[in-house]
Amino acid sequence: MYRLSKMRFGFPIGLFLMLFLDGSISQVFSVQMFSASSVMISHLVVLWLVCGVLFEENMAMPLAKWAAVAGVVFDLYYTGIFGVYVFVFPLVVYLTRQIVKYISPNFLSGLLIYFIDITIVEAMSFIASRAVHMTSMSGSSFLVNTLGPTLALNLAMFVVLYFPIRAVYNWLK
Amino acid sequence: MQKFSFNRRLVIIIVCLIVSFALMTVSVAIRNKKSTPPLIQQFGNDIVGLTDRVVALPANGLRGSVSSISELLNTYQENQQLKKQVSELAQTKVRDQTLAKENKQLKTQIKLNDSLTDYTAISAAVITRTPSSWQNQVVINKGSSAGVVKNMPVMSGSGLVGRVSEVNKTNAKVELITDNNDSANRFAVTVSTKSGKTVNGVLSGYKAATGQITMDNLTTKAKISKGDKVITSGLGGVTPKGLYVGTVAKSAGSDYGLSTKLYITPATDLSDLNIVTVAVTKQ
Repeated sequence: MYRLSKMRFGFPIGLFLMLFLDGSISQVFSVQMFSASSVMISHLVVLWLVCGVLFEENMAMPLAKWAAVAGVVFDLYYTGIFGVYVFVFPLVVYLTRQIVKYISPNFLSGLLIYFIDITIVEAMSFIASRAVHMTSMSGSSFLVNTLGPTLALNLAMFVVLYFPIRAVYNWLK
Repeated sequence: MQKFSFNRRLVIIIVCLIVSFALMTVSVAIRNKKSTPPLIQQFGNDIVGLTDRVVALPANGLRGSVSSISELLNTYQENQQLKKQVSELAQTKVRDQTLAKENKQLKTQIKLNDSLTDYTAISAAVITRTPSSWQNQVVINKGSSAGVVKNMPVMSGSGLVGRVSEVNKTNAKVELITDNNDSANRFAVTVSTKSGKTVNGVLSGYKAATGQITMDNLTTKAKISKGDKVITSGLGGVTPKGLYVGTVAKSAGSDYGLSTKLYITPATDLSDLNIVTVAVTKQ
């Protein structure tokens, strides 16, 4: 019962909190995260959305719509290039829902699903940026300098935040 | 029935792709041509920027307190070194003031109002940073209502760090010179060599592996040596003359061997920005 639960307000608040935390974390730890050889990008929004799918059970939350809203804000406020994350975030939600149909979600399978999701988010935004000449980074240096460290950071985030976020979702239901 | 649903999904995917690329192309075009984004985007960004401060201010405050504790540890050593520098600095400052005064008097004598070196400064705090690997952007808390205009140069500490790429009412985006896209770091600069010659040129890119700015296509015969200072030349309008960019780290032949390529060490740490200064030229 999505309409009657605290989730109706709790989910969007959490979503925007995570969205702004992404930027703040990047700013506060910019020396460590944006060094020359390895760039780590935090994707707490994606974590919040994926956890939404994992802990949804039979609650039918409008995750794709909220993912698109988060994408709009991300595009306009952070990057200034409209039309990338608006489509990437809902795609991630859709894909995760497809996978969850076949694999029952728990901590370890969630980790694997999140691995796939982060790879897709990064790869799609890289391809889009290359297409509109926002970057001249080569594919190989993207894999080594960006995707690898980003996956490491985000999987660590998943491990740390999985149980706290599950507690939050259970409280909101 | 199965075939129909597959086709529909394919159509949706293709439509999404086309719409996505159309939107991206349009927003890149707007970003390159217009001085401000469309009104709706500006309005949205202002609202988001204001809400972001709820999260960003505590985070930045926390960071400030943590870094002040870690800085306390090497304060003693730093103090010793700085004491030596202060006595020299006072002398330079007095001389600087005298020269500035004289310069002003001379300017009024020949009725020269504003030259290329004149600018006023708007200082702003960095709210947040774009979580992206290729867009090295920060959002600052001053916008068009404070007088910030697109393409103005932005400084931090002692040197140039980037330029304003998008202006909203209460916040603005700054593209850092570490950004490697086609338009981020094309500043007109000049190198003054030890023999007194000046070499003009344009910054051409950023080498992430070494953290150096590059300056390509120089055909000068003047000998540029390591340690020569690079400043903005003020040519081209928006950037005032005399903003410190960095020092020459290496002078080498370019990739095709026809011209000289310079590697410049930036004057400030470009990954650690808290307070920045926007330079406004009087025009």
